[in-house]
Amino acid sequence: MSAVSFSSWNGKIIDNRTGKAARVDAGVPTMLGDKSFTALMGWNGLVVSGAANIPSLALGYLREARKLSCGECSVCSIGIDRIAALLEGLIAGRGKKQDVAEIERVARGVMELSKCNFGRASAVTPVLDAVRYYKDDFLALATGKKGTTSPYKTAVTAPCIEACPARLDIPGYIELIRNNKFDESLDLIRKRCILPGVIGRACTHPCEEACIRNGIDQTLAIRLLKRAAADNDLASGGGALKKPTAERPEKVAIVGAGPAGLAAAYHLRRMGYQVTIFEAFPKGGGMAAVGIPDYRLPKNILEHETRLIRELGADIQYNRKITKLDMDELTAQGFKAVFLGVGAHEGTRMGCKGEDAGYEGFVDGAVFLRDLALGKPVEPKGKVVIVGGGNVAMDCARSCLRLGFKDVEILYRRTRKEMPARAEEIDEALEEGVKIRYLVAPVSVLADGNRVKGLECIRMKLGEPDSSGRRRPVPVKGSEFKVKADMVIPAIGQKPELGFAGDVLQVTGWGTIEVNPETLRTNLEGVFAGGDCVSGPATLIEALDAGNRVARSIDAYLQGRTFEPEMSFKGIDVKAQRALGHVDACPQEKVSLLEPKERVKSFAEVEAPYSDATAMKEANRCLRCYRLVVWE
Amino acid sequence: MLNVTIDGKKLEAKDGETILQVCQANHVRIPTLCFHKDLTPFGACRLCVVEVKTDGKWQLASSCDTLVRNKMEVRTNTDRVKESRKLAAELLCYKYPSTKAVRDMAESLGVEVPEGKADGSDCILCGLCTRTCHEIVGVDALKFLDRGLGRSVSEPRIEYIADACIGCGSCAYVCPTGFVKMEASGDRRVIWDKSFKMTACDKCGRYFAPEEQLKWISRKTGVPMSKLTVCTSCR
Ligand SMILES: Cc1cc2nc3c(=O)[nH]c(=O)nc-3n(C[C@H](O)[C@H](O)[C@H](O)COP(=O)(O)OP(=O)(O)OC[C@H]3O[C@@H](n4cnc5c(N)ncnc54)[C@H](O)[C@@H]3O)c2cc1C
Ligand code: SF4
Ligand code: FES
Repeated sequence: MSAVSFSSWNGKIIDNRTGKAARVDAGVPTMLGDKSFTALMGWNGLVVSGAANIPSLALGYLREARKLSCGECSVCSIGIDRIAALLEGLIAGRGKKQDVAEIERVARGVMELSKCNFGRASAVTPVLDAVRYYKDDFLALATGKKGTTSPYKTAVTAPCIEACPARLDIPGYIELIRNNKFDESLDLIRKRCILPGVIGRACTHPCEEACIRNGIDQTLAIRLLKRAAADNDLASGGGALKKPTAERPEKVAIVGAGPAGLAAAYHLRRMGYQVTIFEAFPKGGGMAAVGIPDYRLPKNILEHETRLIRELGADIQYNRKITKLDMDELTAQGFKAVFLGVGAHEGTRMGCKGEDAGYEGFVDGAVFLRDLALGKPVEPKGKVVIVGGGNVAMDCARSCLRLGFKDVEILYRRTRKEMPARAEEIDEALEEGVKIRYLVAPVSVLADGNRVKGLECIRMKLGEPDSSGRRRPVPVKGSEFKVKADMVIPAIGQKPELGFAGDVLQVTGWGTIEVNPETLRTNLEGVFAGGDCVSGPATLIEALDAGNRVARSIDAYLQGRTFEPEMSFKGIDVKAQRALGHVDACPQEKVSLLEPKERVKSFAEVEAPYSDATAMKEANRCLRCYRLVVWE
Repeated sequence: MLNVTIDGKKLEAKDGETILQVCQANHVRIPTLCFHKDLTPFGACRLCVVEVKTDGKWQLASSCDTLVRNKMEVRTNTDRVKESRKLAAELLCYKYPSTKAVRDMAESLGVEVPEGKADGSDCILCGLCTRTCHEIVGVDALKFLDRGLGRSVSEPRIEYIADACIGCGSCAYVCPTGFVKMEASGDRRVIWDKSFKMTACDKCGRYFAPEEQLKWISRKTGVPMSKLTVCTSCR
């Protein structure tokens, strides 16, 4: 249904109350997730599509807003109280006509005068719209006739929360840092991110792109603040995770101790389930352990955070590769559910001659980084050429420099603009001395006997955009040339290794595991999957999200409940809001990076942390853009 | 040097100064409740609002935490500014009707203060004590406990962390409403809900500081406790 009788969404008035409901433009919410409503009040306005009790809904909105109003400025929370008291009076039949005008006056004041963006944009906006455009409904209450209240539903988000795959309460944890409550901030972070020190260092932080401050000066340093909370805890000894309140007898098996497996284990343990993780490698963390190099993520951070989960009672069995998914065997061992978080570890083929010949000096990027992480020595001799433009390629190149290779070159088949690696990652690589050659693709691997000696390449040019929206590279005929190399590292992608699941598991055309996107259930009874093995190579925070979600889904499965997915704001522009008012521009607090010359000498961490005091200062920049919706 | 126009008058200001600082230096009166010149501005009371021209539009902004920019235009005495200040004071008065500092402020801004006695001393959450404890004293015994998504705080308030407090009394000194109480009798000082043993001056015998504060000073400065037994007047 996409017809409404009234909308003030985004300040644009659509009023069809006298005629029949009309269709509205795409920006106006007419559904919440897959649910319809008769009336909705949100930070950005009021939308009505049926007969609704507007004064009651307004009171509900104020009650919910009051819970989000921090109480720091004198206008927002007291203003909400004042308006709510007037409205309660009206609904109880004790109100006067002037009260309606008074509500309007105070609401305007709150929107203009509040300290933060919650007060300005969210706290009372739809209530003001309601008293302006549904004035008669309110005035009718001033005649001594009592009103009624109806039940309502509610949901909260923020632009940054909405952009975060795991939906962390970002303004919440930032605010706790601002108030010098690093411990509580970390507790809040851990509810949805059980690897805070890891994510605080290596997250791709899509939240920062969505931050409202981008339009004013610069995004909040959301990632670095998370790191500050984690570092503060580690500096004071690193406290244990909260134990479950009660134990449950059901056993759950998890395959893979990557971020997805660890997050699932943590939440299932917190619910009291008995959890066993089977992990092929001698350490936990998955690609965070055997992919992301030390200079971006020192291993003690990951080890500490993995240890805490183990100490919570998750039985992590290292060096236990599952070679066959034998459901009978697992059932016999008492496992009631299985979660597959096996990641994507098999290098993608470049599709060029000689890549399967097994030449010495030819090694897949993910394998190269894994060997490095697991302590295999590499002799830095001659020139190394890396093929690919993603973060794995950058990590390989920068690691090679640190190993002592003097000549490190990346070949990429498109241009810098299309490179999937993060911009800061590319900049840092270039600063350190990595060379990048664009618009080049390998055709065949050249070898001398059994040893790699280079690549035959072809020049490319950009053609029409492909399905990803990036321009497709096409070879330039006759432009073949040779690149000499003593080592060649293809790093163009990975896919899951699903040999262990034989033919029993349903897979997609991409070679990933097929699941129900909400419940994460596979075609096999009691078997769930998530993380890179379902999405293909993605990010740490998406894998954590899969782990968080699957724990709730497995819980529902084991308890015989239907799984309730979280409220979705899909289709609603949570960044849009009305006037922001004056916000003083002040740039992000800086952290220092190691000098490029120093960096390449070792695998020491490149980025310095915020001090507690700087973190508090940075946290003070947050505008608290909580978005509230209430509907009936 | 920056050039700013305040209420039509061209004034000079230094880079990094707030609108409030420039106004105070030029005798433009602005009401404040949560401001203290030695503390980071907090922007809580909203009484110091002025109008600032941004993108060609006059917008309200708290002057205590807004920096002046070159060519900035500011108005401090328009009806909109006055009404806004009045509303902020009115709301404070609505919530804390018996607190004298609030009533006085509201009255001075033209609010019709409700009948009743000014015998209360509520915490108005101005944050002066938390900032003093953190920025000046450096012990972090006071923290702002506020509300937000998924945090079950019944009402925002100031949290007192007795273990960290050294009993120096700075918070009681800056509190504008008398909410933070400090009482002394004999060799005890009671502040918030903690009782401190006072140290007497070796020379004049006056109780001059809580033992815990002296220990803290000793730890911070490295001066041995034996050198901290005399009050400042006798030193
Ligand atoms: C080099 C590199 C750098 C990256 N950098 C970043 C970054 O900076 N930021 C970011 O957000 N993301 C980054 N990523 C991506 C990120 O690491 C992954 O998306 C994430 O780790 C996926 O988590 P997962 O739990 O799904 O799988 P994985 O982390 O891959 O973990 C899967 C685990 O399962 C185990 N396993 C697999 N098969 C079996 C089996 N049969 N039996 C037992 N155990 C098994 C594996 O040993 C592994 O430990 C990077 C990836 C790579 C390769
Ligand atoms: S200012 Fe704060 S709440 Fe607003 S989007 Fe940025 S981080 Fe989120
Ligand atoms: S003095 Fe500026 S907000 Fe209180």
